[in-house]
Amino acid sequence: MSRAWLAVFAAVILLPLAVRHAIASEIWIFAIFGLGLNLLLGYTGLLSFGQSTFFGSAGYVSGYLLKHYGINVFAALGIGVLVGAVSAALVGYLCVQRSGLYFIMLTFALNQMFYFIAYQWTTVTGGEDGMPGIGRPVLLGVDFRQPLAYYIFVALLFLVSLWVMKRIVESPLGKILQAIRENEVRAQAVGYDGARLKLLAFVIGGAFSGLAGVLYAMLFGIVPLEAIGFVFSGNVVFATLIGGSGSLYGPIVGSFVFIWLSESVSVVWARWPLLLGVAFVIVVIFFRGGCVEAWARFWSWRERRRMATRLAS
Amino acid sequence: MLYALMGLGLSLITGILNIPNFAHGALFAVGAYFLASTLHVVGNFWLALVLAPVGVAVLGLAIEYAGIRPLYRAGHDYQLLFTFGLSLILSEGIIVVWGPIGFSQLPPPILRGGLDLGFIFYPKYRLFVMVMAGLLVLATWLFLEKTRYGAIMRAGIEDKEMVSLLGIDIHRLFTAAFALGAYLAGIAGALTAPIRGLSPGMGVDMLGIAFVVVALGGLGNLLGAIAAGLLIGVAQSIVAFYWTEASVAVIFAVMAAVLLVRPQGLFGIR
Repeated sequence: MSRAWLAVFAAVILLPLAVRHAIASEIWIFAIFGLGLNLLLGYTGLLSFGQSTFFGSAGYVSGYLLKHYGINVFAALGIGVLVGAVSAALVGYLCVQRSGLYFIMLTFALNQMFYFIAYQWTTVTGGEDGMPGIGRPVLLGVDFRQPLAYYIFVALLFLVSLWVMKRIVESPLGKILQAIRENEVRAQAVGYDGARLKLLAFVIGGAFSGLAGVLYAMLFGIVPLEAIGFVFSGNVVFATLIGGSGSLYGPIVGSFVFIWLSESVSVVWARWPLLLGVAFVIVVIFFRGGCVEAWARFWSWRERRRMATRLAS
Repeated sequence: MLYALMGLGLSLITGILNIPNFAHGALFAVGAYFLASTLHVVGNFWLALVLAPVGVAVLGLAIEYAGIRPLYRAGHDYQLLFTFGLSLILSEGIIVVWGPIGFSQLPPPILRGGLDLGFIFYPKYRLFVMVMAGLLVLATWLFLEKTRYGAIMRAGIEDKEMVSLLGIDIHRLFTAAFALGAYLAGIAGALTAPIRGLSPGMGVDMLGIAFVVVALGGLGNLLGAIAAGLLIGVAQSIVAFYWTEASVAVIFAVMAAVLLVRPQGLFGIR
């Protein structure tokens, strides 16, 4: 058990004591979302600007089934993961054929397509009003309508997701994806099918997004139209980058900072996305590398100072 | 034609600067709002139509100089985050300055009403926009193909290092390209204002379309942007006639269909 895991466990236990249960749940849900993106962004070097496609689609499908057919929680989660993976396979198939800027633009454009479908298909999605009335059914005698019970459920799923993601990035597959990130031509020369592996990473990322989407829908009881919009896709990119995309734990730190930031500025001013935009710009100009790297830089600076004082004395 | 204009501007910016410009839609919206405001102040539509896009170009100039220039070596993820943040700032700024509720803008008196073309009755202003957009695309094409500056820009798309080795200030080229792209977005927005009215969300809708045009036409490919813009515009109008609800989604469906057959885009050679 490493120090990072201890820190994660401590955070899971301490967080509900510090903030409202709903916000605490939201942080872990966003962290799952970020883990999925980070497999693409941090490990495969693919900048997807359309992750909310899978998040929102899963939320809508599972939410619809929960609302109208009252399906089991695990069925809802399973379907959400499946919807996330399948939609990611569809989108990914088109996107992985191009690289660089084209890849980014395509993920964004297809995100817009799903957005407009959700926007216009009002009979199912509720259009601009969102899809309200999603319940949290009782599971094994536990009433998930209790915020704390639901928090524990979300936190457990987050820990499972983190463990699975850790296994993925440390597996041979994870190493090959990193090889593709470093040099795709060489990875192909060694015999790996770059496009197929990128698609696989895309599908796994989509599955994580799907899980997060369903948990989000159950947390707030509604799938808002924004959940499939491009701002949401941008937010998760931001959260992952401020956390530090090079590290497995980066998105977790990022989702902390992001949710805390947006929750605290959104009560100050109705035009808070403006402040968020300002925050994006500041981070990009001054804090490239994210929190994890800033922390590492701080440590090495302290070490150097300690060495310097020791040498001086 | 408007799509071609938008795509052209984005294509220039993305092709030359090699950054994903997610603020392009916001610049389009700012162009429309600038038109409404200058019209309010100077009272002359034509003067406003000249001034508003210039204002957007100046804004683009400032953005490039202050924000994007330090980021050329930063990687697409941070450039994306920057332009995305910028687009949030601009579109929320529009709400702060002009309010969250959209309003409509009348075309100038001369261009109100319709024109009987024999086989169809067509609004005069839309005809004017088509001609204007066509002329602008033509002017941009002439600028890029026939002038020295245009040649430098095209060279910048091909090979930036070589251009700077030949003693051309690459940063000035980047700034000029961004300003020109912003100008095209601004004038597209200004021309659109009397057709669709103004609303804070207008930029985002257009942004998706502009990216589709660029993805289909190819980065920095002028002819591609025009062809893709026309293709999408025509597809959209045909679908809008039969099934209005799907008219926006069809843009992306067309893109997906084209990319399935030709992953490299309409004119791409990979």
